[in-house]
Amino acid sequence: MRVSLDRICITQGNFSLAADGTFNKGVHLVSGAVGSGKSTLALCLAGMLPPERGTIQRSGIGSTMLSLQFPEHHVTGMTAAEECTSWGCEPDTILASCGLKGHNKTSPLALSRGELKRLHLACVLNNPNDLLLLDEPFSSLDCEEKYAFCTLIAHHTSNITIIFTHEQSVLPKFDRIWEIENGILHDRGTPPEALKTWNSPPPLIKKLIAAGKSPRNISQKDILEAACRT
Amino acid sequence: MIDICDLRYRLLHIDHLKIPRGITTIIGPNGSGKTTLLRLLAGIAVPESGTILIDGVPPRKTEAGWVNEFPDRNILFSIVYDEIASPLRFRHTATDEIPLKVNAVVKRVGIRHLISRKVRELSGGEKVLVALAAALVCTPGILLLDEYDTHLDGARCSQIGHLLSASGCGYVLRCSQNMETAATSDFLILLDKGNLVHAGDPIEVFAHLSGTPYYPLSLKVGL
Repeated sequence: MRVSLDRICITQGNFSLAADGTFNKGVHLVSGAVGSGKSTLALCLAGMLPPERGTIQRSGIGSTMLSLQFPEHHVTGMTAAEECTSWGCEPDTILASCGLKGHNKTSPLALSRGELKRLHLACVLNNPNDLLLLDEPFSSLDCEEKYAFCTLIAHHTSNITIIFTHEQSVLPKFDRIWEIENGILHDRGTPPEALKTWNSPPPLIKKLIAAGKSPRNISQKDILEAACRT
Repeated sequence: MIDICDLRYRLLHIDHLKIPRGITTIIGPNGSGKTTLLRLLAGIAVPESGTILIDGVPPRKTEAGWVNEFPDRNILFSIVYDEIASPLRFRHTATDEIPLKVNAVVKRVGIRHLISRKVRELSGGEKVLVALAAALVCTPGILLLDEYDTHLDGARCSQIGHLLSASGCGYVLRCSQNMETAATSDFLILLDKGNLVHAGDPIEVFAHLSGTPYYPLSLKVGL
């Protein structure tokens, strides 16, 4: 099972993004500066934005799920329970799992932004998909919720999970790191080797590498382990 | 000094709080009242009881700049230039001064390349930068930023941090879930369930948070 990008080019006005590479089974990080094209690439991989040139081959991909940056863009239910049902989820279970027990009749748009994001991610992660695309899943989550999300991802069973984010502090372990720079998607490889060629890693990882204590991966556990290494 | 006394508004209860000039970060779990406090300081909401005075003046008589976490909710115009120029046009700034001020602020924020773009075509982070430029174009006395950094990459966060320090705004108050950013503030406020838990120097406040998800990883590893 894999998604292969064969010299694709996406153009929108003055913006263009070139990508070539293969996303195999595992958890992938796509990093990049503001406006670099992370969300555009996510839309393209989801099949919602056709590339101007090149081809995308989805081998063995039966189900694809895209989680957009802003959860209100997904809302279709008039109540939180209806919203869960619209994702094919059992409301009471989902609402209890994301700390919203008893909110069955609350309008999703009346929830706080953090509550709506938690509800959205709980629905998205309820069932495994062959290809799971998460655009800025950490936005609107508080510190505790970010750690909880990392735990969810560590135990999630989608075949190919791609996280598009510039979160700097709280991250899960990744199998592969990609970076968009100057309109080109670069495959930085697998950690820890990928950390040597990743041009814009989170500042703390950069400091650890400079101190000769390169972490094995980029989760908090890896960072603490590297920092404590003598 | 910002002086908050016997403040009551919905879930938010602050008996007394003094916020010094400089950059203040408000942290806490979702639903703790961070955005509510920012809205009260901006004059968007008015306390049910109690007072907020900014250098002795109520928020609604203070020039405030506001950056929403979701800039789409504030942006009025379709072209970036018009959005950034709008605060100047609303106050009848001389026509020949407007492009000078807009060009100066887009240069400072680093978004000159976006000036002719349609706002709806921008990324979430780019919209935040446009909202920031619009907020700064009149050099407000108080600048309020609601979790703006969730949409920005590390380099931009660092750049904006320097920009805020040199913004000329007497008070910059921001909510953040990035504890590394919070650690660089002049003053730190921790809210929980609408209550003021700690306020003071970031190192002192974080000393109370050791062992929680709110303790910065950089302090934990000594970097």
